Amino acid sequence: MASLFFLFLLLLLPLVVVLLLLAVIVRPRPVRIPLKGRHVLVSGGSSGIGFALARRAAAEGARVSILARDPDRLRDACDAIRRDTGVDAAALAADVRDPAAVARALETVGPVDVLVCNQGVFVPQELERQSLEEVRFMVEVNLMGTFHLIKAALPAMKQRGKETGLPASIAIMSSQAGQVGVYGYTAYSATKFGLRGLAEALQHEVIMDNIHVTLIFPPDTDTPGLAEELKRRPEITNVIAASSGGMKADDVAQKALNGIKSAQFVVPCNFEGTMLSIATAGLSPQRSYLMAFNEVLGASLMRFIGLCFQWNWFSAIEKWHAKKKRK
Amino acid sequence: MASLFFLFLLLLPFAILLLVLAAIVRPRPVRIPLKGRHVLVTGGSSGIGLALALRAAAEGARVTILARDPSRLQDARDAILLATGVDVTILAADVRDPEAVCRALEAADPVDVLVCSHGVFLPQELERQSLEEVRFMVEVNLMGTFHLIKASLPTMKQRAKESGLPASIAIVSSQAGQVGIYGYTAYSASKFGLRGLAEALQHEVIADNIHITLVFPPDTDTPGLAEGVDNCLYSDRCHTFPFPFLNAC
Repeated sequence: MASLFFLFLLLLLPLVVVLLLLAVIVRPRPVRIPLKGRHVLVSGGSSGIGFALARRAAAEGARVSILARDPDRLRDACDAIRRDTGVDAAALAADVRDPAAVARALETVGPVDVLVCNQGVFVPQELERQSLEEVRFMVEVNLMGTFHLIKAALPAMKQRGKETGLPASIAIMSSQAGQVGVYGYTAYSATKFGLRGLAEALQHEVIMDNIHVTLIFPPDTDTPGLAEELKRRPEITNVIAASSGGMKADDVAQKALNGIKSAQFVVPCNFEGTMLSIATAGLSPQRSYLMAFNEVLGASLMRFIGLCFQWNWFSAIEKWHAKKKRK
Repeated sequence: MASLFFLFLLLLPFAILLLVLAAIVRPRPVRIPLKGRHVLVTGGSSGIGLALALRAAAEGARVTILARDPSRLQDARDAILLATGVDVTILAADVRDPEAVCRALEAADPVDVLVCSHGVFLPQELERQSLEEVRFMVEVNLMGTFHLIKASLPTMKQRAKESGLPASIAIVSSQAGQVGIYGYTAYSASKFGLRGLAEALQHEVIADNIHITLVFPPDTDTPGLAEGVDNCLYSDRCHTFPFPFLNAC
């Protein structure tokens, strides 16, 4: 009896030691970002995930601004937010590709407490067949657009943080395609991976200003953007994307907002996303020692599962080409 | 005897794992021959690119180097000739200009091994960095690589089909493309982006017998690094990768 108990303790002890160690070393420290009464700006906020995010933030008592290109869609979005939450969101018409327009727009609404860089376009196609204009379009909107927003918002954000003493947030909408590149997504994955490099470096630069960076990694989400994408998607991409389930925009928005409020660096949105995040954790910061524990323990299994997925994907590609050759 | 059995039991799961991995790893291993094949190195007039070109020439490849400055290209050509006896072809083009890249690649033979080694590196806090510099890094490091791949893919595929030999697209990323750190928002963005590009691209070109390689160097002792260091106000912030400087050669 004693020996069994002893064995149990011996097995459990290293795990407990690891857990305690992680609780001590995880950086940055956990923080909660309050939303009530604070200024939340959502780019790409007139439709899809951005709109759902803006609406939820408004429902939680935040002062909301939405930024997008089309004034009509912005007005429709504001009407919907007012109808659903009673809150009057500010509408900013600007193209994120234009840094001057972004700067002007941000000046009109004043300092931002929570900047949600959610705008994005995605046109899947084999790089060989895709035009460079489309590649550039994705890089300009998804990546450069986010740089423009952050550059424009940072100074006032820092100042505001100093005055209020409250933690601020820069949230960036990446994608599961920003965790793994798959057939048809050379340009889109390039931009979404790029956002991660930006975010990891940015967190180092702004942590002392009490600004906290959050990266969100949704799967295929049921939005007008996805509807557009599906029209163009290569067949093989469909097969591969089926590896992760789709989600509703509002569910993604809920996960995203929860992640923003708890200042999580990496926010997965579904089960597959959580597994993917562990498999691709890399050197990203992790504030939660419990999540860190999962990452440390789960790393080898997740890597193995990841390799199984690549086996599955490369086999699918092989089969598809064999089928095409026979025709 | 019993302890030997326990040892076997302990090793068994590892042996099984090893066998399973041997069966499932994709893509399958392949060797890319260099001798007599056409290797094109961008950013090939200095730094890592020059060292790569030199080594490829020494291994019997037919080498072309692409860069912006014709006089540096000439110096590089002389250096390679001196070191290896091989005369490389030089191409002057700015990778940011897709048409110039197309024209340059059209003038050259079909490429067997494309090495995208061009890159610029200007570390600074995003708050203090100008958007022009951010754009510069994204245009050269990321868009430049798209331009090169778009321009060389069609003939590369054709060549691989005719020769039956595996081709290669190699992309020089950086350890800053594996982890983003203070001062590298734009540089890490561009270098992480190359990884997303590479992972997706491998799926797209594997059936054409083209194989993608991503290279992740640390701080490397090159003129490019010296530029980047000069740009830092606090130079100790630039030597953030805790690895000793590597000689480019």
